[in-house]
Amino acid sequence: MSKLPNKRALPSREAGQFKELLNLYESRQLKKGLKTADLILKKFPEHGETLCMKGLVLVHMGRREEGIDLVKKGVRLDLTSHIVWHVFGLIQKGEKNYEEALKSYTQALRFEKENINILRDAASLQTQLRLYDALVETRHTLLRLRPNLRQHWVALSIAHYLNGNTKDAKAVLESYLSTLKNVPPHDVEQSETLLFYITLLEELGEHSEALSVLDSNSRSRAIVDRTAVSETRARLLTKLGTPEAEEAWHTLLERNSDCYDYYAGYLSNKGHTLTEPSPAALQIVSDLAAEFPRAKAPKRLSLNLSTGDEFKSRAEAYIVTALVKGIPSLFSDLKSLYADPAKKDAIEEIVERLREHYKKETAIPSGSEEPTTYLWTLYLLAQHYSSLGQHKKALELLEEALEHTPTLPELHTFKGRVLKRAGDYLGAARCVNDARVLDGQDRFLNTKTGKYLLRAGMVKEASNVLGLFTKKDASSPGADLEDMQSMLYLLEEARAHEKNGHPNLALKKYMAVKKIYDEIEDDQYDFHGYCLRKFTLNAYVRMLKWEDNIRGQASYVTAALAASKIFVAAHDNPNLVKSLSSTSELTDAAKKAKKKAKKAAVKAVEEKKNAPTTATHDDKGIEPQSNKDDDPDGLKLLGAPDVLEQAAKLLAPLTAVAEGKGSVGVWCAVYDVAVRRGKVLQALSALGKAKGLDAESPEVHVRVVDLKLREAKLAEAVKEGVKKLYPGDVGVETFNSQYLQRQEGRAESVLACARVLGLLGAPLEEVDNAVFELLAGERAVGVKDAVKALEFLRSIKSGREEEFRAACDARFELSTAFKSKEEQAVIREQVMTRGPNGGKDEAVTP
Amino acid sequence: MNIRLARPDDLAGMQACNLQNLPENYTMRYYLYHAMTWPGLSFVAEDQKGRIVGYILAKIDEEAKEGEAPHGHVTSISVLRSYRRLGIAKKLMLQSQEAMAAIYKASFVSLHVRKSNRAALSLYRDTLGFTVKDIEKGYYADGEDAYAMELSLARFMIDTGTIPRRPTLEMNR
Ligand SMILES: CC(C)(COP(=O)(O)OP(=O)(O)OC[C@H]1O[C@@H](n2cnc3c(N)ncnc32)[C@H](O)[C@@H]1OP(=O)(O)O)[C@@H](O)C(=O)NCCC(=O)NCCS
Repeated sequence: MSKLPNKRALPSREAGQFKELLNLYESRQLKKGLKTADLILKKFPEHGETLCMKGLVLVHMGRREEGIDLVKKGVRLDLTSHIVWHVFGLIQKGEKNYEEALKSYTQALRFEKENINILRDAASLQTQLRLYDALVETRHTLLRLRPNLRQHWVALSIAHYLNGNTKDAKAVLESYLSTLKNVPPHDVEQSETLLFYITLLEELGEHSEALSVLDSNSRSRAIVDRTAVSETRARLLTKLGTPEAEEAWHTLLERNSDCYDYYAGYLSNKGHTLTEPSPAALQIVSDLAAEFPRAKAPKRLSLNLSTGDEFKSRAEAYIVTALVKGIPSLFSDLKSLYADPAKKDAIEEIVERLREHYKKETAIPSGSEEPTTYLWTLYLLAQHYSSLGQHKKALELLEEALEHTPTLPELHTFKGRVLKRAGDYLGAARCVNDARVLDGQDRFLNTKTGKYLLRAGMVKEASNVLGLFTKKDASSPGADLEDMQSMLYLLEEARAHEKNGHPNLALKKYMAVKKIYDEIEDDQYDFHGYCLRKFTLNAYVRMLKWEDNIRGQASYVTAALAASKIFVAAHDNPNLVKSLSSTSELTDAAKKAKKKAKKAAVKAVEEKKNAPTTATHDDKGIEPQSNKDDDPDGLKLLGAPDVLEQAAKLLAPLTAVAEGKGSVGVWCAVYDVAVRRGKVLQALSALGKAKGLDAESPEVHVRVVDLKLREAKLAEAVKEGVKKLYPGDVGVETFNSQYLQRQEGRAESVLACARVLGLLGAPLEEVDNAVFELLAGERAVGVKDAVKALEFLRSIKSGREEEFRAACDARFELSTAFKSKEEQAVIREQVMTRGPNGGKDEAVTP
Repeated sequence: MNIRLARPDDLAGMQACNLQNLPENYTMRYYLYHAMTWPGLSFVAEDQKGRIVGYILAKIDEEAKEGEAPHGHVTSISVLRSYRRLGIAKKLMLQSQEAMAAIYKASFVSLHVRKSNRAALSLYRDTLGFTVKDIEKGYYADGEDAYAMELSLARFMIDTGTIPRRPTLEMNR
């Protein structure tokens, strides 16, 4: 490179101006900075550093594109200046492009090895990217340069720890602690540092050392977090197997007698668990219940630990107390006991007996029991039977309770839940809305109504209801809920759009969920520096571990799988976007959405304008402004040429966190995308994993056949892989019918076999017959399976869709999912208007 | 019901619970800020399945003036409807208050509550002993007034013998 630093050197006047420019930028005096930059550039238009600084100033002034062009030009003109690379790195960091930013910072450091600011930013970037080897090096350099800064010591220790080198982490922290002087009393930072040190000792298995550090420092009150002290102490004593452990757990129980972890510790110290019944454990817990009479936990635990008659008498006392008090959560509290069928039966017997008793007592005026007790008994029994799938019985009980007291919201919400389980989504929404009307101040009932309306596909009504509690200045209720990162709303509305035949709108919501996860990942960035300054080290490392796994959370998994499916469908059906754009209903929705988005964009810009900034108000910051959405109906996204790449990107993080049988769906989705992208090895490996987890899964079956059908077009080299998944020489038809026989007609498998027939191009009649198999005989078919089958018939344009619908309607008496369009429209009308007393109240639309 | 200290992996559950119960909502960044600054002050209640059914999100007020003793502040507390009236909110409050006093020597705890929120008012005033210090007009986004309430934490200090020798301590060096 011939560009030599002498091109960088400015005459003293301009050099002074450049210094001033840096200062003006630091204090965000942007206009002045711009003028100064222009003064220098007038004489030295090719001065790279000035160009970069001017570009940076322009970006902050909101002239982003122009600014970035200048920065890039400046970099090209002075490739060995640390300033140009630093500026470039700042811009990339602002765009959350951490990888590229780190490259720029690394360049900057080549030319200015000891710049503290650049090193610190680089460390944050390395942490964000989990490049822990490099992080250790950076932290070393910082410590060498500024050993008098306390945070540089703990920062190096943390870096070692993150890099999996706990020993070195400990050594660094020890030298730090030993050189500390004049620690003021009751110093929270010191306390947190010591607790992290103890964590390191504990993880290294040096339990007695950890204990003595803990004890001496809590005695001297150097550690001030007493909960942390007591918890760590009990844990360490248990690991050391000393008799003092018992007392330590007991101390904790005195502080918080409703913490299961403490009971678990206390019991495990005596060789028991919280779940395995044993008379000895029962005795211990009973003693604790007597000692802490106000605690709920030991009473509940005694139900885990007892059996037989002992269980029956304890359960009865527990249930009676709760019924008399009227505790709505009683059933969900008891539910986990149902894992033991004997306990389930015992509970049923007890509650049925109580019902008889309270019924009699309530019937006579001189009865000894409150009528509400009877009410709660009916409520409990209804929950019990509904959980066993006996929806009719549950509904009868609820009707009796509602007759008695029509004003208790819980009865309506639970009735809604039963109807939902039975497939009556519209009736369910109506009931929950009835509950909401009874207590309009309660956001919980409001949220629940919104959710149930969405389940019933009533998107507009849901929005109106949810809007009663969202911010009035938001562009729509949904926009506020999205800003506030409500996964529940986004996922439910997405599902409603899918159900209503608008996969594009659904995709928008699923992608919004993904965006929230991006945000949460970005959120950690600032804490890499912050937590070290605050010394909240244990919390920090736990947060990093949590961030490492957030894409394994159910909300992300659901959104990624559903979105990927939509992308794949768009790939398979090039006419999808066209057919979606032509429905008039959608254009309406799209128009509305467009208008809203426009309004929101204007508002966002205005808000940014009004937002208080630390310096002059014309600073727009370095991050790109959230640009307005030019695809509110998601059709561009769905019609993009890179749908499969988008899907692959969504799924990629799942492969790292997918574990166990529940992840069959993840591997199937990975297969679907990979096989269409021509990534055959990835497809084979994903399907292999899915099959390994659940060989007989219907989803796996369909894909094994799909793979077999693609075999002819595959390279010789991978055919071995196909053989592993599809062993033997039987024809695909036989393979399919053999599978069906093995499954003995599990509903899902019947449908899978029909899907396979579709793949094979069997005559429509044959496919139809395979689907109708579902309804033959006494097969156990749920509403959800039947809905899926109906959707499948629609998708293959079967002539027997209507016949299937009518058959399901007869079969699932309670469900409204199989009513005709006209019937559904009538029922839908009633959802928002009927009122809790069956229409006697005034209409209640928000 | 299990009552315990909140950990980073509880934050999503706390956020979901808050969104269902209250109109005042926050992005994850704000929850992280609490957890990374005062990791000992927030608590959760979880059900048998480990689902978060109640939480208290708390902090130390940073706007305290130079020389003033630090005090705690409840940013948000709520319990899912079907788990209310079980004493959960009360227990969460007490755990957090004790931690405020022990870790940060907080002398009192403050909070805001809607004038119309009977349940919460009854919990704060009658059960926990808070008093109304001030009425803040139009405090909430929809224009409703707030009561600014406070409760002394002196009893926790006496309990634990952590009464500061020097009444003010420099915390932020
Ligand atoms: C306010 C709220 C947090 C109370 O939670 P909780 O766990 O039910 O409260 P507790 O069971 O600990 O109640 C303790 C005491 O407070 C009082 N209290 C609680 N709820 C009450 C209500 N609805 N009406 C009257 N008093 C009530 C009672 O004195 C109760 O003791 P008791 O049950 O022995 O009579 C809960 O109702 C809630 O989440 N509401 C929605 C969100 C909200 O308003 N949060 C507060 C924002 S400032």
